[in-house]
Amino acid sequence: MNRYFRELSVVGALVVVLVAMAIFAPAFFQPQPLLSLVTREAPTLVVACGMALVIISRQIDISVGSIFSVVSVCAGLLAARGWPLALVLPAAAGIGALLGVVNGILVAGLRLPSIVVTLATMVTLRQGLNLVRQGEFVNMPDAVQWFGLPQTNGQWLLVGAALALLVLLGVAMRHVSAGRFVYAVGTDAEAARLAGIRPQLVTLLVFVFLGALTGCAAMMNIVQSPQVQPLSGMGLELKVIAAIVVGGVAISGGRGNLWGAFAGLLLLACVAPALTHLHVEAYWEKAIQGGIILLAVVADGVRSRKGRR
Amino acid sequence: MNDSGTRDWKSLLLRHEMLLLYVLVAEWLFFYFAGTTTNRRGVIVGFGTVDRQFDILRHSCEIGLLALALTPVILTAGIDLSVGSLLGLCAILFGKFWHDAGMAIPVAAALALACGALGGALNATLITALRLPPLIVTLGTYSLFRGLAEAITRGAITYTDFPAGFLFVGQERWLGLPTQAWIFFLVASGVWVLVHRTTFGRSFRAIGFAPEGARYAGLPVERRLALAYVLAGLIAALAAIIYTARLGQAKADAGTGYELFAITAVVLGGTSIFGGTGSVHGTLLGVAAIAVLKNGLACLPVVMRMNAAEEMSGLLTGALLLLALTGSVLPRLWSQWRAHRSAAALPSPKPHTPT
Amino acid sequence: MKSLLRLALAAGLLLTGTLGASAAASSKLVVAFLPKSKGNAYFISCKAGAEKAAKELGVELLFDGPTDSNAAKQNEIVENWITLGVDVIAVAAENKEGISTALRKAQKAGIKVVTYDADSMPDSRSFFVNQATPEGIGHALMDDAARLLNGEGEFAIITASLTAANQREWQKHIEARLKEKYPKMKIVAVRPCDDLKDKAQSEATALMSANPNLKLIMAICSPGVPGAAEAVKQAGKTGKVKVIGLGLPNENKRYVHEGVTDTVILWNTGDLGYLTIYAGVALAKGELKPGAKSFKAGTLGTFAIAGDHILLGKPFAFNKGNIDQFNF
Repeated sequence: MNRYFRELSVVGALVVVLVAMAIFAPAFFQPQPLLSLVTREAPTLVVACGMALVIISRQIDISVGSIFSVVSVCAGLLAARGWPLALVLPAAAGIGALLGVVNGILVAGLRLPSIVVTLATMVTLRQGLNLVRQGEFVNMPDAVQWFGLPQTNGQWLLVGAALALLVLLGVAMRHVSAGRFVYAVGTDAEAARLAGIRPQLVTLLVFVFLGALTGCAAMMNIVQSPQVQPLSGMGLELKVIAAIVVGGVAISGGRGNLWGAFAGLLLLACVAPALTHLHVEAYWEKAIQGGIILLAVVADGVRSRKGRR
Repeated sequence: MNDSGTRDWKSLLLRHEMLLLYVLVAEWLFFYFAGTTTNRRGVIVGFGTVDRQFDILRHSCEIGLLALALTPVILTAGIDLSVGSLLGLCAILFGKFWHDAGMAIPVAAALALACGALGGALNATLITALRLPPLIVTLGTYSLFRGLAEAITRGAITYTDFPAGFLFVGQERWLGLPTQAWIFFLVASGVWVLVHRTTFGRSFRAIGFAPEGARYAGLPVERRLALAYVLAGLIAALAAIIYTARLGQAKADAGTGYELFAITAVVLGGTSIFGGTGSVHGTLLGVAAIAVLKNGLACLPVVMRMNAAEEMSGLLTGALLLLALTGSVLPRLWSQWRAHRSAAALPSPKPHTPT
Repeated sequence: MKSLLRLALAAGLLLTGTLGASAAASSKLVVAFLPKSKGNAYFISCKAGAEKAAKELGVELLFDGPTDSNAAKQNEIVENWITLGVDVIAVAAENKEGISTALRKAQKAGIKVVTYDADSMPDSRSFFVNQATPEGIGHALMDDAARLLNGEGEFAIITASLTAANQREWQKHIEARLKEKYPKMKIVAVRPCDDLKDKAQSEATALMSANPNLKLIMAICSPGVPGAAEAVKQAGKTGKVKVIGLGLPNENKRYVHEGVTDTVILWNTGDLGYLTIYAGVALAKGELKPGAKSFKAGTLGTFAIAGDHILLGKPFAFNKGNIDQFNF
């Protein structure tokens, strides 16, 4: 069977959904609203790229939602103080990376389980932010929105940046040795070590990278509106992890790719607007999303069973 | 002889559970002294009152039950993210059976328990029959169960007006203790016996250490795993009933986010998230440590003046978890460092260079 | 090891001693103020009014609540306060029946209970400080929507979550009013935004493209209003799709001035907190008794009491003309 069967089947499901939308709700494809919807998902894609690396290296990070919130508020405050965006953007990436370093050191340095470490940092960051901000919105100057560009240009810039990152990373993961190191560590850390890779360093770096990308994503989100809500990013971790898993990246590490994660993200991101367009009531949304995740993993399971036989 | 004796004694005192017990006692004493005051009317109030201790017990029953449910699961190196959502689903099913189908409370409760077990069985089937990663399966059912609960009630229906006899379970005392505490202790002892005194418990650990090894050793790995998840579903349903009785209402958002508290308690209690090691009494201590911290902070004058009890308890729970995790690896790092140093002290062997 | 432990114990005792002493010194009346959720700007502005009242009256104010809207946690916090022996508890109930069990317990312990914002069961509190009934809110929103659309056309609702009790209640009254008075208007969709502004923005975008005839978006949770407004602005539909909702002036000023959001409906939340504290303290001092017909609250003047509801007044509509006068 084709080695990209898993990714192709997600793309197939996505195509089916899109065709169904084209027949039953063609209004879905009006260019401007669609661009807006896609732009709203661009930050999620950026986080998903970083998360895919972390999961491929056999770790997980559930603190991204909290990191996203913290960076959003910090960047918003800096922008509100009149910092030029050319400085706010690296500052956002820097704060994100710094928080990634904390996770990375705890996981790679002390060899603690990543799910528990990031659970702890998730709670700590979220409650710390609550304590400091008490939910208050940050108002930013108008010039921040769309980096000061006209709206459509700004939207294309964000979508373009996210897609460029995806393509670059997707290619790098396959053709650059650093990318293959991530797969090697995720498949078998000990074998990777014997092959001359430093697994702990790779692990640390993927966490830092994810942190930095989350910082950039937060920045990409706050330029889409003039106010920052401290809650923004709540639940992001589950959304991203679900998309990646649906896209065929194995939670046990070493398998899957960014293209699949991208398709998974699009598929899950489609659900809410598709329901709106089909005039289905919102009550079923969560159940449908759960169903898609289960269907995807069941497909995985059935296939690997067949493979074993 | 004597030397090894003292070492055993020392290692017992330094075991994770013992350390956690020290933390718990220290916490408790701290809050007892710092969180108890006399109010304007000269009545002793705050943490040191019997009422408060019972409140802590009542407030931690549901999360405690979920933590108990998760202990065997995590021992097998699995995880169940869906318990909180299943609690919500079972709560509204229980309400529906009683209110809409007109069943008697015990029948409705039994059916709700069955539904919980069924939900656990769904997880179990996907995990064992298809050998899927538990994290992902239960991430899916986490959405699915909550989604079903919302779909069934359309978000709107809240079941209330339960009979007093039922509310007794959640709000009154029986034989001196909050009624649900008895249920909790019963389940806790049941799970303790299962994990520590039966071959099931040993097989959970064996599976957690090395599933293939357990298989070769002749253990029915699939059946044991399934047992752990079905049990988790059953206990989640029980927690749902107690939750309903405590609040007097069943609603689709019941138990939102409880899975994270429960996992935190289990891990704080010393059960390795990689499976294989851990204990039920550790989990109980973990639950208690978090509950005392949460309730104690709400009694501290300093925290009250900051209006920050909720945030502080979240913050400190996270910090405590990190501390416990770091603490758990310190001995390993220490011995590694010592080994490294003594290796460095030896004359290093000549590097072997190919000629 | 042993000496270390002893040292730690001594340090702990020393610390506790100082902390305990400072608390016992306070002999003021203690009023505990419970919001539905703490981080919500709405309740923070209520708290500002409550603090002002507490200062004027010389009472100690405790403010704590769930960091998310969580009925179970509200009960736990009330029970905490009972054992802390506070004198007055003021509650915005997340869930009517759920909280009442805890409040009855508080009353049994001799604590005076008032509710504000959202009521509990009548037997579990002395007075409800009524800022506006759910009916009043529902009607105000629906009437305003009808005024903007001339009683005709499609609109959509953005709510906090499908399960939030107050949202359900408002929605019910909006629908009832619609049925009764505006047969030519239609609700095309109800979408949850999880109290997230970002999600409200995405939902509103999808709503507009899915319903080309959509004339108005009504956001009934405070983060939803700026979210929907930003979506309308970005879709270039300012004026074609109107935005109204329940929200705070500060979060919506810019959209009201840009003409995206037409009206934001709310009462003066600071006054609500202020009045609640005054009522609670008067109750504890015995100055306010069941059956009273009116009540004087500090600098705000006299309020009418209907039955056991202290009436704050009608919901207030913030629009271009008056929104700059308010800062909360």
